[in-house]
Amino acid sequence: MACSASSCQSNCHQHEEQAQEEEFGGSSNSISNYNDRNLNVCIKCKSNEPISGGNAEDGRFCADCFRSNLYGKFRLAVISNAMICPTDNVLVAFSGGPSSRVALQFVHEMQDKSQKNFDASRDGSLPVFGVGVAFIDERAILPIPSHEIDKAIQDFRSIVSALAPPRKELHVVPIENIFSSSSSDGRDRLKNLLDAVSDSTGKEDLLLHLRMLSLQKIASENGYNRVVLGSCTSSIACHVISAIVKGQGYSLPGDIQYVDARWEIPVVLPLRDCLTQELNRLCHLDGLKTVELHKVPYSGINGLVSSFVTLLQKENPSRESTIVRTAGKLTPFHFNSIPEKSDSNTTLATQRRLKKYNLKPNESLSSESFCPVCNSPLNKSDLLRQSNLQNHQTSSDIFGAACCSSCRFQILPKDPSSMEHFYTHLPQLLVARAKHSGYGNLSLLREQIQDFLISDSEDES
Amino acid sequence: MQLTLEFGGGLELLCDSVKIHNVNVDPQNGTEKLIMKDLLSWVRTNLIKERPEMFMKEDSVRPGVLVLVNDCDWELSGQLDTTLEEKDVVVFISTLHGG
Amino acid sequence: MEEADGNGKSMKGRGRLCCICNKRRAALKRPKTLEQICRECFYEVFEEEIHQVIVENQLFKPGERIALGASGGKDSTVLAYVLSELNRRHNYGLDLFLLSVDEGITGYRDDSLETVKRNEIQYGLPLKIVSYKDLYGWTMDEIVKMIGLKNNCTFCGVFRRQALDRGAALLKVDKLATGHNADDIAETVLLNILRGDIARLSRCTSIITGEDGPIPRCKPFKYTYEKEIVMYAYFKRLDYFSTECIYSPNAYRGFVREFIKDLERIRPRAILDIIQSGEDFRISTSTKMPEQGTCERCGYISSQKWCKACVLLEGLNRGLPKLGIGRSRGLSDDRKKGIKENIGTKSIESKQCGTLDF
Repeated sequence: MACSASSCQSNCHQHEEQAQEEEFGGSSNSISNYNDRNLNVCIKCKSNEPISGGNAEDGRFCADCFRSNLYGKFRLAVISNAMICPTDNVLVAFSGGPSSRVALQFVHEMQDKSQKNFDASRDGSLPVFGVGVAFIDERAILPIPSHEIDKAIQDFRSIVSALAPPRKELHVVPIENIFSSSSSDGRDRLKNLLDAVSDSTGKEDLLLHLRMLSLQKIASENGYNRVVLGSCTSSIACHVISAIVKGQGYSLPGDIQYVDARWEIPVVLPLRDCLTQELNRLCHLDGLKTVELHKVPYSGINGLVSSFVTLLQKENPSRESTIVRTAGKLTPFHFNSIPEKSDSNTTLATQRRLKKYNLKPNESLSSESFCPVCNSPLNKSDLLRQSNLQNHQTSSDIFGAACCSSCRFQILPKDPSSMEHFYTHLPQLLVARAKHSGYGNLSLLREQIQDFLISDSEDES
Repeated sequence: MQLTLEFGGGLELLCDSVKIHNVNVDPQNGTEKLIMKDLLSWVRTNLIKERPEMFMKEDSVRPGVLVLVNDCDWELSGQLDTTLEEKDVVVFISTLHGG
Repeated sequence: MEEADGNGKSMKGRGRLCCICNKRRAALKRPKTLEQICRECFYEVFEEEIHQVIVENQLFKPGERIALGASGGKDSTVLAYVLSELNRRHNYGLDLFLLSVDEGITGYRDDSLETVKRNEIQYGLPLKIVSYKDLYGWTMDEIVKMIGLKNNCTFCGVFRRQALDRGAALLKVDKLATGHNADDIAETVLLNILRGDIARLSRCTSIITGEDGPIPRCKPFKYTYEKEIVMYAYFKRLDYFSTECIYSPNAYRGFVREFIKDLERIRPRAILDIIQSGEDFRISTSTKMPEQGTCERCGYISSQKWCKACVLLEGLNRGLPKLGIGRSRGLSDDRKKGIKENIGTKSIESKQCGTLDF
C-alpha cells in the first residue's frame, strides 16, 4: 500500500525495502550477470527458466520475477516519492498504448492490495485511495476514422470495468472540451488554433500541452488530486534530447522528475524507471490489451529525436537509462515534490522518506515565472525580454512576450495579425495562465533578474 | 551536357582521390533538362567508388555535405530541383572531416 | 523577396540579390539567420560576429601572447586566418603563434602538418610543433601497433591535451585558442548527456576554460556554424587539409554528428538551441570538482598522484596497455581495490578524438 501516513499499519516499509533490494539487484546485475547468464536460470530466483527473446536485458528474469521486478520499480517510485496517499483520488491518463495500460494495471494492483488490507483490518481506519481513468478523444484533429475510435472506446470501457472493484470511472472527454464553449465551436477553435502553427514540431508540441490542459481540467472537475502519466524511461529519454535540441535546457529538469506539482493537480510519473520494451513485454506476457490510437508517427524534430534514441538504444541497451540518469542530475525545481499539506499528520512518515531518499521538499518558495503555453519555468533571457516590454501593447503581444523562446519560435505565429488570430483561439485557461503568472508581477520579475537590470539601467538612463 | 564536378573536404577520397571531374551528363528519363536530383544519382553510379553512404543519404546528399552550383549555395537554387546548364560547375564539400 | 523563391528555382540564384547590400548576387543562405547574402557581405558578417564574440567575452587582452591550436584542418585554418586578420584590423595587440601536435600518424598527421607549415608562411605566424615521440617516446603508430584500434583515442586524447599545454608553455603564451565551432559544442553537449558525464556537461559550453590550470583555453568559434566555416574557407580558397584520422572509427560520435546534421537540415537554429540548453543547465555548483595537484612524476596538473598521461605511459612502457583504461564506476568493491592505483581515468572511454578535447 502506497501510503505515507504515520498511522499506516500495513507493512509498507517492509515492502519498501524489498522493492529496494529488487532495484539494487537489478542494477548490479549489469556486471554480475555476465557470469550468471550462461546458467540459463532466472538470475533472481535461480530456479525458473528466464523468459526468452527480446534484448539481453529481458533475458535475465523468469516471467514471475520479471513481473515483480517491474512492479517493484513502480512501487518504489510511488512510495519513495509519496505519490499516492490513502486519502487520494488518482486519475490515470490512458491512451490505450502499452505504457498507460501498465500504469493503469499497476495502480489498480496497488489499489487492490490496499483494498484487501482494508477489508482485513475491519476497523476501517485506513481509507483506500480512489482511481479514475481518463481518455482524451482527439478525433477532432486526428486523421483516424470515427468508428475506430468508437470501437477503441468500447474496448477501454470493457478493460476498465473488468478490473476488480472498487469501480473505476472512465472519463472519455473530447479534447475540444478545453474550450468552455459548445463542442462544435470548440472543435473549430481547436482546428484554427493548430492551423495557425506553421512548424510541424510546434504543432505536435502544442497538442501535447493541450492534452495536459485537458487532463488537468478533467481531474479538477471530477475531484481528483493526482494525475498519473505512463511516461517511461524511453519516452523521458526522448523528451530529454528533444528539450535540449529545442533550447529548453533550463526547464528540462522540471519535466522529468517523479513528481511535477507545478500544475493545479500534481502530476506523477511512477513508470519513470521502466523501459518501453519492458512495458511491451508485460502487456504481452499478461495479455493486457492495448490499442494504439495515437500512433501517428512523429515528424520534424520529435521524429528525428525518437529515431536517434532508438538507434542509440540498439547500440547500447542501457543508453536510455543513462540519458535519463544524467538529466536527472540536473537540479530539479521546488515543484518537483508533492506539496506538503498543512493540515495533515502525514508529515512524519513522509519526512522520513524524503530524508531517506534525499529529497528536499520545497527548499525555496516559488520564484519562477512560467511560459503560459508550455508551463515551463522561464530562463533569465526570457525574463529579461519580458521585463523590457513597453506598456502600450496589445494583449496578444503581452501574451507572446510571456512565452518561453522555444514556444515563441516553434508555436507562436511570427506576423502580428496571425498572432492576433492565434491568440483569439487560445483556450481561456491558457490565457488566464499568462495573466496569472509572472507577467502581472513585475516586482518579482525585477527581483529575479536584478543582476541584469543593474547593467541595463545604465543604457536606459 | 558538359559539367565540371569538384569534390572537396575529403569527398575526393570516395572517387579515387580525384578532385576535379570534367564530365558529360545527359538529361535523364527522356526529359529536356537535367536537375540536381538526377545528377546526384548519376554521380553515385559513375563516380563514387567506395562508401557511397558518405556522400548520399536517401536521394539527396548526406546532411553535412555542402553543394554549390557556380559558387552559389544550392539552398538558394532549389536544392534537388536546381536545373543545371551547359558548363555549370558543381562543387561538393564535406564538412564532416577533421578540425 | 520571399515570393521570389518559387520563381527563382530555375534561375539558380543568379538573379537573386544579397539581402544585406541588395546589390550583389547572393551566394549562400546563412544557417543562423536564414538570410541570403553575397560573398562580400558574408565575409563581413562572419568576421564581425567573431569579433563581437571576442569583445563581449573578453577573450583576449592587449599584449597577450596567444597560441592557436593548428591541426591543418578547416576550423583551425580559418581560425588562424580570421584571428590574424582581426588582430590587425581591430588592433588587438596580440602576438599570435601556431601550435601543432604531431601525434605520429603516417599518412594523416604528416600530411596535415605540411598544411600547417604552409599556413605558417601564408599568414606569417610562427609555428611550434610538439610531438608525441619527443614528449612521450611513443608515436600513435607505435601505440596502435601495441594496443590495437580499441581505446587508441583515449591515449591520443589524453596525450594531446597535455601536449598542447606543454607546447603552450614552451611558447610562453598566455592563452590557447582552439577552433571548436558551434556544431562541435552542440555535439559535445549531447555526448556528455549520453555518457552521463555531468561534470563535463557543466563545463563544455564555457567559452573560456581552464582558467585555474596552466594555460586557459578559449573558443572564438563557439557560435560559428561549421557550414559557414567551410563556406568561408572555400570562398577564400584557404589551404586546409581534410581527412578523417585513420585510427578513429568512433561510430558512436558519428551517430551524434549525423543527428546534428539532420537537425540542422530541418531546423538550423537547433545547433544554437543546444548550446543555449548547455549554458542554461541547472547544475548544482556543489558538484565536486577533483582537487588539482601536480603529478609526482612529470609535474603536470593532476587530481591524482600521477596524471593520466603518466598512468597510460607507464602501462605502455611496462607492456600493460590496459592500465588506466576504462571506468572504475560500477565495479564491485574488490575489483575496485584491485585497480585503485591507476584510477583518475573516470569516463575517458570512448573519449572524443580529433582536436576535440574539452
